[in-house]
Amino acid sequence: MVASKLLVKGVPPPALDRELTVVGKPLNRRDAAEKVTGQAKYSGDIKLPNMLYGKILHCPHPRARILKIDASKAEALPGVRAVLTQENSKGWRTSWYKIPEIAFPEVFTHEGGEVAAVAAEDVTIAQKALELIDVEYEVLTPMLDAEETLKAPPPPLVGDEEYPGREIFDRKPFVIKRGDVEKGFQEADVIVEETYTTQVSHHGSIQTRACIASWDGEDLTVWDAIQGVWYSKLALADSLGLDPKNVRVIVKYLGGGFGSKAWSHRITYYAAKLSMLTGRPVKMERTRGEEFVNHSRRWNCRIEIKMGAKKDGTLTAIYQRAVANMGAAATGENYYCMQIIWHTANLHACPNVYLEQIGVYTNRQITGPTRSPLNMPAIFALESHMDRMAVELGMDPFELRMKNYTTYQTVGTDESEDPSASGKSYDTKIPYSSKILDQCMKLATDGIGWEKRKSLNPMAQGAVKRGIGMASYIVLQGVGLHPYVAEAKVAIHNDGTINLFVGIVDIGGGQQTILPMIAAEELGVGANDVLVIYGDTKDTPYAPSCHASRLTPEMGPAVVQAAAEARQKLFGLAAPLLGVGVDEIRSKNGELYARSDPAHSIPFGVVCSKITPGVPIFGQGSRAPNPKEPMMATFGAQAVELEVDTETGGVRILKIAAAQDFGKAINPKLCTSQVYGGIEFGIGYALTEEGLYDPKTGMLLTSNLHQYRMPTSVDFPPVDVSLTEVEDPYFAYSAKGAGENTNAPTPAAIRNAIYNAIGIWFNDLPITPDKIIKAIQERREKGETHAV
Amino acid sequence: MPSRKNLPESRKRIALTVNGKKVERDIDSRMTLAEFLREELDLTGTKVGCNRGECGSCTVILDGDPVLSCTVLGVEASGREVLTIEGLASEGELHPIQEAFIEHDALQCGYCTPGMIMSIKALLDRNAHPTEEDVRKSIDGNFCRCGSYPNIIKAAVVASRKINHK
Repeated sequence: MVASKLLVKGVPPPALDRELTVVGKPLNRRDAAEKVTGQAKYSGDIKLPNMLYGKILHCPHPRARILKIDASKAEALPGVRAVLTQENSKGWRTSWYKIPEIAFPEVFTHEGGEVAAVAAEDVTIAQKALELIDVEYEVLTPMLDAEETLKAPPPPLVGDEEYPGREIFDRKPFVIKRGDVEKGFQEADVIVEETYTTQVSHHGSIQTRACIASWDGEDLTVWDAIQGVWYSKLALADSLGLDPKNVRVIVKYLGGGFGSKAWSHRITYYAAKLSMLTGRPVKMERTRGEEFVNHSRRWNCRIEIKMGAKKDGTLTAIYQRAVANMGAAATGENYYCMQIIWHTANLHACPNVYLEQIGVYTNRQITGPTRSPLNMPAIFALESHMDRMAVELGMDPFELRMKNYTTYQTVGTDESEDPSASGKSYDTKIPYSSKILDQCMKLATDGIGWEKRKSLNPMAQGAVKRGIGMASYIVLQGVGLHPYVAEAKVAIHNDGTINLFVGIVDIGGGQQTILPMIAAEELGVGANDVLVIYGDTKDTPYAPSCHASRLTPEMGPAVVQAAAEARQKLFGLAAPLLGVGVDEIRSKNGELYARSDPAHSIPFGVVCSKITPGVPIFGQGSRAPNPKEPMMATFGAQAVELEVDTETGGVRILKIAAAQDFGKAINPKLCTSQVYGGIEFGIGYALTEEGLYDPKTGMLLTSNLHQYRMPTSVDFPPVDVSLTEVEDPYFAYSAKGAGENTNAPTPAAIRNAIYNAIGIWFNDLPITPDKIIKAIQERREKGETHAV
Repeated sequence: MPSRKNLPESRKRIALTVNGKKVERDIDSRMTLAEFLREELDLTGTKVGCNRGECGSCTVILDGDPVLSCTVLGVEASGREVLTIEGLASEGELHPIQEAFIEHDALQCGYCTPGMIMSIKALLDRNAHPTEEDVRKSIDGNFCRCGSYPNIIKAAVVASRKINHK
């Protein structure tokens, strides 16, 4: 038997040598009935007896110092049970994205910083109490625009002002290089240079952050809204100085995360502090406006790319300079110092690259994980530039990508987040564990009818012009991330009950459906025969947060290992019953049988009855880190057909064909939904979504769902989803991660289709009707026509 | 300038029908219908995603019409009939829209789902044979950030057919 490469600690279990009976089936999600009947209780739906309601007073200025604060009127308001300000919280630090920040500081470095927290008998009283807190601010000159900020030294710090992580990240170029970029440009026949800008974007989860913290004098229990219960537990223990064993975090349902809830947030810390102070449970729930201002946003970026190619399309050199506006605080958990340039380094073959990414600390709103965080600006710029290059070369954009197709990578996933990996020369070509991006590009372009593209004659059409465009992408998410700690446990009981214990949150990707499917396959039982215990740190082993598409690729192997270990123990009990050796036994569809004689079988439950009552069989699984070789990544391509109304500037997307290389879908029904979700984000980023700030004060202007314009049902086109399959023995049934990144190619594909329709390149997102109209008018004034 | 006066207090008695049951309560007159359902009746299936009539997650049916319950006062609902997501399944049997949502995976995180289903219920009540375009328009005020729109539209059409065949 070939040794398995499954990424687990210890000896990997052998691969099942039989057809799959559960994995790959389009099963319904397990919690669908609770969700469609309104029975699902999200954190904000939970009420505890004797509960208080908390509210936070936020600093309205991006940079300001408190000169005077007086909370005495708030404290005196009937119904107020606790008020926290800088006066009674000296030395407290909160943990947000693992960033230890001062709780209730004197000086604020971003809009929405916490000035005070109140707990009261109801929300109205708590809100009223906030209004009674007198605060006098000295408004300090904020750093707002990244490029402007780069031109001057940072202002001297005032009072307790701090910018965590600044010494590591601020203004420093992080570099990926390979070959000799000067020589590469000399060898080029065509050189194309452009600058792209991308906007601030927001998560827009429909559930705002809500939590209840309950302290009983010894233990803290929190009903949180977070993508990982274990992340929240450890962050709370750390910032509150508690033993982690005294902190329990529960998330049964989560109303959307998209990165906004990837890590612990300060409101949970304040709720816990207020509960400790009052001895009562405290609920905190954000308003929509608070959610916009106080959650992280996506970095707005400015990306210059210079690319050289030979006449036949072979890329010879890429130079890139990417500047990201980081806000005021960072660690490696919420800022990825080489993520933009990682994509440029790895998507297309190019022997000579010099790529730098510069993060700039400003007093703009804080930043952090947002569905495909820096993948979005990276892929938009790179895949827009590839089309520009194709036009300059007179090549088909699909052919140009195929011409520069790679089967190897040079920079690993973890290096994209590692400051110490900067500046090295990445020349080693390391093959992939699996990659079928070429098939994906073919599927996507075939799906959209790529051949039509050539016959679309803009002159022959009316005011509404049709266009087709494509983009490909590589994703560093979806193969696991450092520190690669993911555990699973399986128990089989005497009565036939099977438990899978996983410390995960189901954020809507169907994680609590997928993981038991994996366990059921390994055990040889039906999907619904496995009960899953999840969303609660009590009784579950550590699991990563559900972000970076990491649950399936990281938890999958651990679940396989745990289930396989329990299964082999059960086979030990079955051996005397079947009269064959353990190695000869197999299980499938609830039966255990001898491999040589499948008809010779015993029901799973009958074997379970041999388990000692009260002493279940256990299996443990634990993920091992990714190896240095081969390289691992996920891939995909999208093609878009759209119409541009040259009179209104409106863009109507007619169809999107999306093909992705995720290895294998454990559950294609749920995987397809994830692809839709990515495309929804991608359309918004391309055409409508933009966080706008007052240029003088730096305050967020678009803090509601009317001004921050996410796509609706009428904006969403028909989407053809192709889930390809490719063998990748490092993952559970070849399943790499799928959830996050299908938004990454959508904006460039849309932008390239707009060019195909009207012959104008748009380099600044979002491509709104006013920009389209202005560009068409400018072209008309120059007397030019569209002659593609 | 924030008011420095004491909190205003004005309580009103309301009587209405919620999911077929008569309900009477004394409530704060500022309370929205969404708050009334969630806080007074513990009907937390109705979600409040924005509290200003922009996201659609609080959609309920008031006297047959879909309304954003965060923009309706509790006192306005007095004497009227409210249907929420909790009232859709009857005697443990799921409504065809709910069944179709499950089968076609018309949800991911599930937070917009109750409002989405109530908007579709109101559509099917007034239009037994909706086209995909009709469905799109009927839910254009309901955000689904998970992007389940294609499956939601499919589920609504399938549900309408199923209802018509009953």
